[in-house]
Amino acid sequence: MKIEILFPEFCNLFGDMYNMKYLKMCIPEAEFIETAIDDIPTFVNENVNLIYLGPMTEKTQEKVIRKLLPYKERIEELIEKNVFFLFTGNAMEVLGKYIENEDGSKIEGIGIFNVHSKRDMMHRHNSFLIGKYGDLEMVGFKSQFTMMYGDNSNSYFLDVEKGIGINKESKLEGIKKNNFIGTYLLGPILIQNPLFTQKVMEAIGAKGEVALKEDTMAAYEARLKELKKL
Amino acid sequence: MKKGIRFYIALWGAKLGTILLKLLRRNASFFPGKFALKVCPDFIGKIDKPQTIVAVTGTNGKTTVCNMIEDILKDNNFVFIDNKYGSNIDAGVTTTLINGANFMGKTNKKLAILEVDERSSPKIYPYLTPTYLVCTNLFRDSLMRNAHTEFISEILTKNIPKETTLILNGDDLITSNIAPENKRIYFGIDRLETDGSKCENIARDIIVCPKCNTKLEYDYVRYNHIGKAHCPKCDFKSPEIDYLVTKMNLNNMKIILKNNEIEEEYDLISDNIINIYNIVTVITVLKQLGLNKEQINESLKKQKIVDTRYSDETVNGIKVITHLAKGMNPIACSRVFDYVRKYKGKKAVILLLDDLHEAARGSENTAWQYDTDYEFLNDESISQIIIAGARYLDDLVRLEMAGISKDKISYQRDEITAIDNLKLDDIETVFILHDLYSIELKEAVKNKVEIMIKNY
Repeated sequence: MKIEILFPEFCNLFGDMYNMKYLKMCIPEAEFIETAIDDIPTFVNENVNLIYLGPMTEKTQEKVIRKLLPYKERIEELIEKNVFFLFTGNAMEVLGKYIENEDGSKIEGIGIFNVHSKRDMMHRHNSFLIGKYGDLEMVGFKSQFTMMYGDNSNSYFLDVEKGIGINKESKLEGIKKNNFIGTYLLGPILIQNPLFTQKVMEAIGAKGEVALKEDTMAAYEARLKELKKL
Repeated sequence: MKKGIRFYIALWGAKLGTILLKLLRRNASFFPGKFALKVCPDFIGKIDKPQTIVAVTGTNGKTTVCNMIEDILKDNNFVFIDNKYGSNIDAGVTTTLINGANFMGKTNKKLAILEVDERSSPKIYPYLTPTYLVCTNLFRDSLMRNAHTEFISEILTKNIPKETTLILNGDDLITSNIAPENKRIYFGIDRLETDGSKCENIARDIIVCPKCNTKLEYDYVRYNHIGKAHCPKCDFKSPEIDYLVTKMNLNNMKIILKNNEIEEEYDLISDNIINIYNIVTVITVLKQLGLNKEQINESLKKQKIVDTRYSDETVNGIKVITHLAKGMNPIACSRVFDYVRKYKGKKAVILLLDDLHEAARGSENTAWQYDTDYEFLNDESISQIIIAGARYLDDLVRLEMAGISKDKISYQRDEITAIDNLKLDDIETVFILHDLYSIELKEAVKNKVEIMIKNY
């Protein structure tokens, strides 16, 4: 089993790398490949089971778009083939049509999804979220300069119970197409949501239970209870 | 800048408000400035300001640096204004300027020492030109407020006036590159025996060359992105240091600081590398302000890191150390964890790192814990870790993720009753690490620990 972490030297903000460290604990037999920005991604020429991209700075988003643009068709092909993708924080924005700056200038995205995002650098949005992923309740946090716009009604990740979706007017969070999941949630989302992690493991064919199950579940249940009270 | 009627309404209203707040024994270090800016948004530009302004900014250490500069200046009979007891955002700076001016908005003060929050730069520097702007360092900070270092360094570069001379940490490759067109003075510490060739921290915000994207080669790494590096492909490299610590002796607590080929010996008041950087920063600023070695060092020796940030006491042969470990600030906490693991002897560690403000608002975003080197607490010399508070279950998982055996961890919701689990067998030091907003809680825990030691 191969899990590819894209550009960890840049896309490593907000503790998100520990999602992969946790997955390593959950699937010790998996091979984790860290692909640097100057390397050719493994997914281009090989089969991988999961591709992960974490949150990044605004300048890095431009580097990542330039890097991944030549592989647009391959990424689309892999999404169609049900390869699992997990893009957290602002990572999913690079696959949209464009990212708009406050002055109206636009950075062309890779254009796989028919969405775009808008930056507002002096007003950072912070919120918590409870959302449904099928029958599963997920918890998490958002902290971002951008909001995303476009119709994700047929391709959302979470049905939001508390918090916001891809923008303040939306109750549909993130993008989900086949096994591609992009979400504005950031931080240790796999650690905070062991039930979701279990589903990820099942989706990529990993056997066994999540690591530290008892304690991650206790923390998850406590947070869910706490957030429901708010 | 012409003052106008709005300015005088703002000034007089703020002055009157200050008097009333003081009569009511309320804090008058924020609201007068807030009122003035509401009435007159360019108030900072219009009010008379001291000829020399030192602004101190940066992720960590700005309060300590300001406090030390102010105490040493006072000890040398300098007269100045400062925002020591006020806020470090635009309203606090405005209040300080109002307090330093008369009813006509004129001032006879020659010097201001201002702590300035990095994010407040766009609201302050267009109206106020610091003579010197000190940047202690730029690290990952509260992700909810400061996002990442690229965002903060761009804010600074965009807003620092061209006329300002920068005093920068030259060992910090992010800080040393802010506002590249400005005149600059660097301080730093030469290679230490404890420096390594590889970074053992989670957070590293400058791994590749910002000019050509090539992986930087570090001559040595102190912690995170602090150290000396160069790009193997282009001319990007750590700067030449103007005020360089060439020797550090922690046995006799002295450093040798070299500037313009002249070496001077200064006393250290802390053996913690964070505070040694703070001391070097303070000496650099004071030298630039014209103080000589004797003036600085004689006063420096009398300084003490304030009790709310560090305290130590020995009770029945066991040392109790309280140390600020600013929650939601990964590097500040990591530095303290590193200090704890390297501290001699067997230790027990009590973690009170919840942000009580966030806890009161609902639920703290604990992503910062995963940018923080909890792995440093996975050390043989640490026999027990006690975690308590609203996020104790998250703390438990984080410690387990750091490879710490659950047998070593005691966890409970209530902070005070959690201390009952403290095991003092063979313990030489009890560390109480606490957040900035947990001072009362820290005192209560400390008292209980000391009683337990007395009864042990």
